[in-house]
Amino acid sequence: MISFLLRKLPSVAVVALISSAIAFILPRLAPGDPALAIAGSDATPEQLAAVREQMGLSKPLIQQYLDWMFGMFRGDFGQSFIMRRPVTTVIGSRLESTLELAFLAMLLMIAIGLVLGVLAGSPRSKWARVVLDIMTTLFLATPPFLTGLLLILFLGIFFPILPISGEVGFFENPWLALQFLILPALALALPQAAIVARLLQTAMNSARGEDYVDLAKAKGVSPGRITWRHVLRNSLGTAVVALGLRAGDLLAGAIVIEAIFARNGLGSLAVYSVQSRDYMVLQVLILGAVILAVFIQLFSEIILAALDPRIRLES
Amino acid sequence: MTDTAPPNRQKARLNPVLSRYLQAFVMPKGQIGLGLVILLTALALLAPVLFPGGYDMQTRDSLLPASWAHPFGTDELGRDIFVRSIYGLRTDLALAATAVPLSMIIGTFLGLSGALSPRLGSLVQRALDIIVGFPGLILAICVVLVVGAGWTALLVAIVIGGLPGFGRLARATFLSQQHREYVVAARTLGVSNWKIMVRHILPNAIDPIIVQGAVFVVAAVFTEAALSIVGLGLQPPEPSLGILLNVGMRYITMAPFYILGPTLILVLLALAFSLLADALNSTVNRK
Amino acid sequence: MIETRQAPATQPLLRVEHLSTTFDMGNVSVRAVTDVSFDLYPGRVLGIVGESGSGKSVTARSVMRMLRSPGQVREGQVLLDGEDLLAIPEREMQAIRGKKIAMVFQDPQAALNPVMRVGDQIAEALLVHGTSAKEARKRAKALLAQVGIPDVERTIDQFPHEFSGGMRQRVVIAIALANNPTLLIADEPTTALDVTIQAQILRLLAQLRLELGISIIMITHDMGVVAELCDDLVVMYGGRVVEKGPVRDVFASPRHPYTAALLKAVPRLDAKGDEALIAIPGSPPVPLRLPSGCAFHPRCSHAIDKCFNDTPPLSSMGDRRESACWVAAAGGNVEPRPTDEFGRHRRQASGAAPTLRLDNVRTNVASSGGLFSKTPPVYAVDGISLEVFPGETLGLVGESGCGKSTLSRTIMGINDVSEGRIEVSGTDVTSMDLAARNLVAKTIQYVFQDPFASLNPRRTIGQSILEALEVVGVTGAEADNRVVALLIRVGLSEDYVSRYPYELSGGQRQRVGIARALAANPKILICDEPVSALDVSIQAQIISLLEELRDELGLGYLFIAHDLSVVRHISDRVAVMYLGRIVEVGTAEEVYGNPQHPYTVALLSSTPEPKPDQSTEHRVILTGDMPSPARPPSGCRFRTRCPIGPAFRSDREICNRQSPELAATASGQKAACHFAGEASLARG
Repeated sequence: MISFLLRKLPSVAVVALISSAIAFILPRLAPGDPALAIAGSDATPEQLAAVREQMGLSKPLIQQYLDWMFGMFRGDFGQSFIMRRPVTTVIGSRLESTLELAFLAMLLMIAIGLVLGVLAGSPRSKWARVVLDIMTTLFLATPPFLTGLLLILFLGIFFPILPISGEVGFFENPWLALQFLILPALALALPQAAIVARLLQTAMNSARGEDYVDLAKAKGVSPGRITWRHVLRNSLGTAVVALGLRAGDLLAGAIVIEAIFARNGLGSLAVYSVQSRDYMVLQVLILGAVILAVFIQLFSEIILAALDPRIRLES
Repeated sequence: MTDTAPPNRQKARLNPVLSRYLQAFVMPKGQIGLGLVILLTALALLAPVLFPGGYDMQTRDSLLPASWAHPFGTDELGRDIFVRSIYGLRTDLALAATAVPLSMIIGTFLGLSGALSPRLGSLVQRALDIIVGFPGLILAICVVLVVGAGWTALLVAIVIGGLPGFGRLARATFLSQQHREYVVAARTLGVSNWKIMVRHILPNAIDPIIVQGAVFVVAAVFTEAALSIVGLGLQPPEPSLGILLNVGMRYITMAPFYILGPTLILVLLALAFSLLADALNSTVNRK
Repeated sequence: MIETRQAPATQPLLRVEHLSTTFDMGNVSVRAVTDVSFDLYPGRVLGIVGESGSGKSVTARSVMRMLRSPGQVREGQVLLDGEDLLAIPEREMQAIRGKKIAMVFQDPQAALNPVMRVGDQIAEALLVHGTSAKEARKRAKALLAQVGIPDVERTIDQFPHEFSGGMRQRVVIAIALANNPTLLIADEPTTALDVTIQAQILRLLAQLRLELGISIIMITHDMGVVAELCDDLVVMYGGRVVEKGPVRDVFASPRHPYTAALLKAVPRLDAKGDEALIAIPGSPPVPLRLPSGCAFHPRCSHAIDKCFNDTPPLSSMGDRRESACWVAAAGGNVEPRPTDEFGRHRRQASGAAPTLRLDNVRTNVASSGGLFSKTPPVYAVDGISLEVFPGETLGLVGESGCGKSTLSRTIMGINDVSEGRIEVSGTDVTSMDLAARNLVAKTIQYVFQDPFASLNPRRTIGQSILEALEVVGVTGAEADNRVVALLIRVGLSEDYVSRYPYELSGGQRQRVGIARALAANPKILICDEPVSALDVSIQAQIISLLEELRDELGLGYLFIAHDLSVVRHISDRVAVMYLGRIVEVGTAEEVYGNPQHPYTVALLSSTPEPKPDQSTEHRVILTGDMPSPARPPSGCRFRTRCPIGPAFRSDREICNRQSPELAATASGQKAACHFAGEASLARG
């Protein structure tokens, strides 16, 4: 596995480099001048120049990029233009909220996705199959924000069971924090879980047609054991790949979910940074999201190799 | 030297591809899906005729709950939310109708480009992988950042966001087809790469891409809605489902029905195209 | 043949009575098996023979109660030791499967669970029938050793993908044997395997039958396999049993026109090449559209009026023999009449220049690797020289993985030539630049193995052939006329122009494939296993068509196949290929009559022949598998499996050191062996 990681290192580095360049350039392609935003619209040209100088904006772009990159290796991610604080502090203050949300959502996605998928992919009565089918189709069709809105309407307003806006730190009051977390996490998890479930179901159905299932049946293996040992075992790879792919989308979904549930996480920070043209925060957020997605991919590849002996990480 | 042929079947002769798709509407989910799609499209198209007053008719009756006169209630300026929702639907469907075919055509071509030159194919694949690396809305936000919030940004974001999906499907078909004997056969005959792509590979890629197209209509509308909710999409007073939700969120405790109407329309829309995609999918997968 | 053919015991182990199975497709009910009855006596091997759609596999699955949905047994009884398996609850049947009846499947590649260790898969068969885990593992080891898997302590914990195809089939057999079943159902167990591996598996099955006294139902399409292994025979056609009886008697004097025709349609290894095959016209019926009356009547040369409307019952034809034929029942002759026999004359070498010449060609099939890694070359074709003359057939024989397909792909320019030279009509085309490519495309065309895959399902037959014409610049009305002419030339008609491939049978599609290849008026056809995907009764039609076209149009063929009998029938000269090299080449008479290379001897000796009394005692059966071309053995490439090489005779270390050259031998042909001519066929 070590050699696998080493072999993957160059391509991870390349992806990181490319996305850092994109994350750096994109905000700067946008119209508008951050110096103007900071100094105010009635600032004199001299004041503007001074602000630019102070923010390092007067240097050539490539110099700014290199400064930023080398800074990051030293742990200096730059200064937020708008909030006038180090980017690390700005992001750090929002990190916990998003981490808690993402963690719970991922757990829910894995649990619901696998359970639904296995149920739908196992032979059972036509009636149960139809119910499961409708459930997955429904979740599949509703994206996180829509699920979130529906959850708010039904569990927050018509039947006010759970709080619908705001948050509490998990370590301050775990029980209350969980109450605030459950709706947004569900909203994030359900649509992705449905995708995972559908893929798992398809994989199981196709595995059921394989010759080795026939051989197992010819051995006298019971239907239950066939489902677990032969069908599911050969379909888990698909589920893992799906989970890996969905995890990135789940994180991105946090942007809207935080807006809907009025949570102060990284998603709302990203939106605020776009609106206020705060390059320095934005570029770190974009880079972080991409690199996180790459690592989740890598992780799912390792699990896949552990599940399927035909895939060898070494060669 | 005679080989008995199975009896002729003349009925399928007209166009086997088309008649296969039509089979999707024999099953109930295909019928419901198609029915909903027609209903919603008709409402959107006929909005100016049905509601000649436009979406900006203000009254004093602000934030009224649902009633016969206002099925979805009224908004903070006393405008009918149902009318605004229909006009919003019109905006969203127009956006999808422009963006989805564009994304579909470009994505398919990119995915098949390997048939013209293997090097081009893998280069394109790399590029698409980078796009995939930007999960979901993050890509759209990047586009908004560059282009500035508005219709154009949405269009570009949706088109680019769809490329990897269509491209992958097309490329998967290309990869599975390129070693098929009939493709090799055409190649050994000396048929040009371009013709091989159009005649032999494209027709086999079309099925999954059409299904994906139906799925992607929903994704396109949702991209608009999600961006508008966080304030990076279309800007008021232009009506769109996302903007209605954006504004409605502010009144959620006071007037929960405000977002209920537009949400309902979105759910119907999603249901319609998902059912359609599902029905098409099970038809094209039937051998 | 192992002599166990004593008179059968009185009580049958398995008695199938009036079995009928249907598949309900929406509103139509398709009869896959109709009124099938047979007995299997303890310790005997029953062959069930039939082509695709004959219902042989459905019969086996009905016995196991493992029909795929929507299959359903409608009527009948399956009595195992007197107990009706169709009447007991599923849970009891589950206890019988794998315990009393076991099954071996066709494709060992697919039959093993890829993510489970082979030891666990064998042990599972024991665990589910109540053996303890420890005991099961011990037994798994013993079973692996019993079926001939080497190094059991290590291999028991390996995964299926680490095994070769033949080894996997041994594992499947080990699973089947786990609980000492009394009945083994083998569904085409050797069809997916190479001929030398097939010989290994057949010998294993024969051995097991002898040692364990197990009864076997052998489902196959291969009359050679039946002759070699089976005691009794059931011939199925269109879902019914058409003939039953002891193998020896049925082969000696078939009592059903279908059996008789089938035996005559298969090329014989020992036949002289100038006898024409007697093809069965038409193709096997599809269960959905069975002909009225006797299902075989549209293809039968003896059919009388009664056959068109009345289904003949299975009636006794003397000592333990039954047949379902009106003509045979009336005492008529059922031997096939040579219909439009195409007399074949042996052609002399014309003295013309070769149309295709390969000189020491090597092809590297290793993928080019990434930016930073350099993959070592893998030569799937490693120094091949051959010539194809106009009007002549060069047969190329070899097992899967020997590089024969890579060779044909190299000639067509799909793979690049790494070394050596290819000449077409005297012009060097090795570079495969535009001019060379055009010359190749004009001169050489390709007939593919799988007629289901070589036609685009989305294009009509006419469009597929038009495309080939368009490339050579024939368009418009002239092209349309040519399409029709080509279709007629290959035995089809104008009606086929607007049909889609799915409307055609396998044989018809292969005819279209040939028509398309002929469109450019080529001088040479490369036929890559052109009949191996077809039903036995269709093969003869296509072979005859190819021979006809060759003699009429003066085409040269490079005929690539693994089936030695087919190659023998059609070829003037034969080349035998092993691991990227040609090990023997000469005229068909020379190579088949007096093989000089031990590999050729083994191939010929491993091929089962449809002659029940042939002795198999002195058969040369190779051990092991072909090594990977990525790591070819030093010296002679065949030495690792060679029955006269250093593996058996340690003094012959020259084989380890020195690669033998292809050199002329005493009997005329060339062979690449240091001890050419030493191994010989012992035909009994």
